[in-house]
Amino acid sequence: MSIRTEKLTHIYMPGTPFAAKALHDVTFELQKGQVALLIGPSGSGKSTLIQHLNGLLKPTSGQVYFDDQSIEGSKDRLLKLRRKIGLVFQLPEEQFFSETVYDEVAFAPRNLGLAEEKIRDSVYDALNLVGLVAEEIKDRHPFNLSSGQKRLVAIAAVLSLKPEVLILDEPTAGLDPAGRRNLFNLLAGFNQKEGMTIIIATHHFDEAVALANHVLVLKQGKLLLNGSRDEVFARREDLEKLGLALPSVTELMQDLAAEGLPVRTDLYTIKEAREEINKMKEKQQ
Amino acid sequence: MSRSITLGQYLPGNSYVHNLNPRLKILALLLLLVLLFSLKSFTGLITLLAMAMILLFMARIPFRYFLKGLRPILYIVLFALVIYIFFTKGGVVLLRIGSFTIESEGVTEGFFVITRLVTLIVFSLIVTLTTTPLSLTYGMSYFLKPLNKIGLPTDEVAMIMAIALRFIPTLMEESQRLMRAQVSRGADFETGSIFRRAKSLVPLIVPLFVSAFRRADDLALAMEARGYRLGEIRTRLHEDIICTRDWLALLFVAVLIAISFYFKL
Repeated sequence: MSIRTEKLTHIYMPGTPFAAKALHDVTFELQKGQVALLIGPSGSGKSTLIQHLNGLLKPTSGQVYFDDQSIEGSKDRLLKLRRKIGLVFQLPEEQFFSETVYDEVAFAPRNLGLAEEKIRDSVYDALNLVGLVAEEIKDRHPFNLSSGQKRLVAIAAVLSLKPEVLILDEPTAGLDPAGRRNLFNLLAGFNQKEGMTIIIATHHFDEAVALANHVLVLKQGKLLLNGSRDEVFARREDLEKLGLALPSVTELMQDLAAEGLPVRTDLYTIKEAREEINKMKEKQQ
Repeated sequence: MSRSITLGQYLPGNSYVHNLNPRLKILALLLLLVLLFSLKSFTGLITLLAMAMILLFMARIPFRYFLKGLRPILYIVLFALVIYIFFTKGGVVLLRIGSFTIESEGVTEGFFVITRLVTLIVFSLIVTLTTTPLSLTYGMSYFLKPLNKIGLPTDEVAMIMAIALRFIPTLMEESQRLMRAQVSRGADFETGSIFRRAKSLVPLIVPLFVSAFRRADDLALAMEARGYRLGEIRTRLHEDIICTRDWLALLFVAVLIAISFYFKL
């Protein structure tokens, strides 16, 4: 299973004076179980790109393949595809429209026309998966939850389809530090326990980078860097030329290494960095 | 969805026509419309249409884009033409189908009316294509000022209209985003009976209303924080000054009117 794009190009409002090229010949491939980080400055085409991956936007030219099949096709096929590729939009809690959390999460499985029993199961599963207690929360009004809970319910509303691939657009926007940490722990769990492929589009990647193993860098609609996390973040100068910084921890380690200290530079979390620095200190004493 | 708003949508530019004062554009448009309806000859109409085309060229509006904007009106124009051809009698009988006749006066009258209609639309389009909705609103509020005397708060009405216009694209964008979000959750807005389709709009309309109310709240707060009070006199960043080029344009329109009256066009 893989997601692949080939020379994906998208132009908004073609044929009018307002035409704008949002994506330009984007080609990449992701394998099952990978966690990819899609980074780039605002307006670089991140949102446009991920909306192509589940067929919401049609490419002006180029192709998107899922499991080696082009995703273009009939409505039924697109519906099946969207079941497998879940997309969590930016600020997804703004899509709420139901009176109870249960109905909100049940919206997607209901659209599939499942039996009420199966819907109930998938709602409970989805709510439990994001760490909420389904029995407690299911009858509450989604507008009255805390912002962290709202985000989790919104993600559960996508997980209720049991997708194989989960794509999130700025998933931590507007969350407090505890909410952010919780969300990334959950995502790491989905990836490790369920084998879910995850794509995170963001420009605050300090926290997300810990769970990623692949990085895509977009700028002005062009895919400029595409490789494993360690490969991409080793190219500090290229990233800085694009106006992007390294993850803070990686930058620190690279600075230390540049000072001549014997430390590894492919580290992404404070915990890893602390251990590495302690190890180095022990060796030196 | 985004296609439906191209009709008369402002096209940014920096031409002579773009830079004319919005108040003047509205006044000139009104005068030209009066002139248009007082014209009685084809010569006059065609001349006016040709001038509209020159104006279009001066505003550097891509002709194809302009035609796209005209397309929705095409049906009304054709409908008017058909009505006139079939129902205006007089002159020579050109064609007889059973008891139906097409007579020469119907044909001339029909073409006269649609030429007038098209010219009218071209002039109006030139104004909306070269003026931001915001300055149009302020321009119009100027002409409504006398209504202040009978207690209509024209400045506030202008503000309401300006805000409404300002938020149309925002809400359009938002509804498109919401639509995609719900579609990716399996929603279907396109198939089914009318009743089903109306029901399927709930997941779109509820969040749209919620966000519109929130935006309104935020905006009210932001405006108050910057000192907006009802009934106060407001000044503007871009003062609207009428300068020589505006007087020239007005003079030109006046000359046109004078000529048409003198020669009884």
